Amino acid sequence: MHNIQVNISKELGETTYITKLSNGLTVYICKKEGFEKKIGLFGTKYGSLTNDFVDITTGNRIKVPDGIAHFLEHKLFEKEGANALDLFSKMGVTSNAYTSFDQTVFFFETIDKFEASIEMLVKLIKEPYFTDENVNKEQGIIGQEISMYDDDPNFTVYFNALRAMYKNHPIRIDIAGTIESISHINKELLYTCYNTFYSPQNMFFIVVGDVDIEQTIDLIESNIKKYEKNEYINNDIIKYNVEEPNQIYKKEIVKQMDIYMPLLCIGYKLDVVDEYQNIKRQIMCEIISDLYFSKISDFYEEEYKKGFISDEISFDYEGTDNFSHVIISSSSTKIEELKKDIIKYIEEIKDQNINEENFELIKRKKIGYNEFSADNLNSSYRRIIEHALYGEELYSDIKILNEITKEDIKDFLNILSNDKQVISIVKEK
Amino acid sequence: MSNIYKINNKKFKSIYFSINFTIPVNVNEISQYSLLSAVLSKSCKRYKTQKDIQKYLYSLYGANFDVNIEKFGDLYNIEFRCECINKQFLPDNEDVVNDILHFLYDIIFNPNMSNGVFDLDIIQREKEFVINKIREVKDDKLRYGIRKSEEIMCQGEPFSTYVYGNEEDIKSIDNVKLSEKYKELFTNSCITFIISGNLSGYEDIEDRVNKIFSDKLDSKLDYKDLIYNKKLEHDNDEIIESQKTTQSVLTYGLRIKNVKDDDFYKLSIYNAILGGTPSSKLFQNFREKESLAYTVRSRYYRFKDIIIIYSGIQKENYEKAKTVIEEQINLIKEGKVTDEEFNASKESIISDLKEWNDSKIALSKMFISNMFATKNENLSLDDMIEKMKNVTKQDVIDIAKNISIEKIFFLRGDINA
Repeated sequence: MHNIQVNISKELGETTYITKLSNGLTVYICKKEGFEKKIGLFGTKYGSLTNDFVDITTGNRIKVPDGIAHFLEHKLFEKEGANALDLFSKMGVTSNAYTSFDQTVFFFETIDKFEASIEMLVKLIKEPYFTDENVNKEQGIIGQEISMYDDDPNFTVYFNALRAMYKNHPIRIDIAGTIESISHINKELLYTCYNTFYSPQNMFFIVVGDVDIEQTIDLIESNIKKYEKNEYINNDIIKYNVEEPNQIYKKEIVKQMDIYMPLLCIGYKLDVVDEYQNIKRQIMCEIISDLYFSKISDFYEEEYKKGFISDEISFDYEGTDNFSHVIISSSSTKIEELKKDIIKYIEEIKDQNINEENFELIKRKKIGYNEFSADNLNSSYRRIIEHALYGEELYSDIKILNEITKEDIKDFLNILSNDKQVISIVKEK
Repeated sequence: MSNIYKINNKKFKSIYFSINFTIPVNVNEISQYSLLSAVLSKSCKRYKTQKDIQKYLYSLYGANFDVNIEKFGDLYNIEFRCECINKQFLPDNEDVVNDILHFLYDIIFNPNMSNGVFDLDIIQREKEFVINKIREVKDDKLRYGIRKSEEIMCQGEPFSTYVYGNEEDIKSIDNVKLSEKYKELFTNSCITFIISGNLSGYEDIEDRVNKIFSDKLDSKLDYKDLIYNKKLEHDNDEIIESQKTTQSVLTYGLRIKNVKDDDFYKLSIYNAILGGTPSSKLFQNFREKESLAYTVRSRYYRFKDIIIIYSGIQKENYEKAKTVIEEQINLIKEGKVTDEEFNASKESIISDLKEWNDSKIALSKMFISNMFATKNENLSLDDMIEKMKNVTKQDVIDIAKNISIEKIFFLRGDINA
């Protein structure tokens, strides 16, 4: 029997069971009754931001090439010449993997091959297989992935906003690296990163679906045990962070591309806060987005009438234990005018009283949205990953939502300061 | 009213309402109906602006609404859709379903017109909106490559026009024309109302709909009579364009001849083997073996009997890429498909079908797509799975003989990486 912690969300009608296996791996099972699909995710708290750390196998500090976490993701999702997507696909199972700033996650979605999928997922991640030849081949494929991002205006405008805000922080670097940086990746470096960051203590396993709790935990545990001898037990991962000034790096970056619709990001660099505050900021930004930029706002209506916007303006928060910022994004054929209007507007709303009627409407909308999200299995695991990474109580977001006051919102708007503001624009050639 | 279809499953918490107007169109009419959809989605008599609409929807616990436009082959489909929460999951069991139905009624049947025509300012603003959508296609290069292939494969057929229409036609529409089209929306269409999701507590849903809409949703056209594939003759061609990007896009348009009823199942599996899944020949050889691309896929167009292959490559690899793509097409024709490849593709298609059961929207989409494609409104997901299971490897090899390369499109990126 396992020691299982139970987290119930009445609002979402779901329950998450959490247990720690003897090797230190934490397992989360989110029960969704009645759904056919079952999702399994195996992830590590390691992403593109970590490129300077102590190699667990030697005890020496090492700097690795940009893009290696993403490269490692590609190479782990492969077994002796066969791509994992293909191995799963042959079983009739959909799978994929992704790397972000702070995590690498591998997952499958299945209707009726749950046990075999768990077995395959564990095998792939616990049995790395890197050769000079397969590293070489991957450089070609990832090279095309990088070219695809280079041509993508949305991706470019976003990363340029980060590059304007941050001077030294690795968040400036493309997650996939560059064609040049990945040319320095070899199999030895891949094993170093793997051994250091794919230890059970640094990983998490999540299942979402209508499954039996005890049986699923047993199933994961028995599969994990097969590979125990390969494991580095690593309780103390040592990572080195670069010194990042509070100030922004550049005020404005403008890039010309072969596109029609110009894009804009306005970024505000913020002080780093703890996870509770990160969740709170996240929810406040969702409310701000609704209050001031959604179609219920006077601002949207005016800008739409003027022909300055045709799609939504988004107001997003991103924050972890080592960065924090707001990014406002939009597109417009009148990009300079829209930019001026948004900047002026942000200053105006800092002093305005919050529209009571709209604030109440947004609360009603949020009640409905929690119910909608319960119909979608993906929103369940996203919340669990956040929890696995940063440890704040599961479902605390729903509690925090009810606590947020109008004063909190105004206080937050007032920390968006002009000297921490950056502009990124992508426009037509 | 007979054209209300219910898909009920109590695992969901929400309900999806989808009112579809399916219209036989010519090329110019696509622009007219696209503009009409944009105008109707943003204003009506009761809710004059997007702000009024959204505030009302927020008050209904964040109900979602939009007007979705798509093509079922050469037919144009305008879908007025709303999504709301079942009353048993809302505070005090508040029931918003009647409000949603009234709202949809207002949007469709009480438009913001005066003296029988739409307001010129609103039309002008929405023309800009639609023209932006048309021009934006080029910003996503793979999507542009696919769009261009659809266009050159189906020249002269309504399907070749972009779902938002084309710029010249949009510019020429005046308020009289648009108001005419509004009337034709009811006189020249097949109307299908699908309600999908958790309908417990709503056993009377048909009565509710009838009370609000009375006979307004009666179809003038029967879906069984609508022709979705005009099948003109087309020549083989190779077209090259250039652009200032680092990556190039290569697409292949394949034509399928002599398609019969139920070939859909064989062709779905054919496409999965060619480039529809990670087990496919293209993924295995074009990407994994030759490292020519990160993205390579093929897409089967059920309503048009075509398949489009698309990939993002380096321009230096153009000739090599063509050779490898053509090899994969020929391999299937020559019967060089392993049992493993065949079974993997079949499994993957069947599991995709089963997954639709977890989405009320996918269930609704599947229903209407089947209704038009097979002229049968009683085809169940289980029937589809059964028919898919019955396809043999020989069926796929035989059907491959009816498939030939017709158009090659290369969007050459002129920036050196």
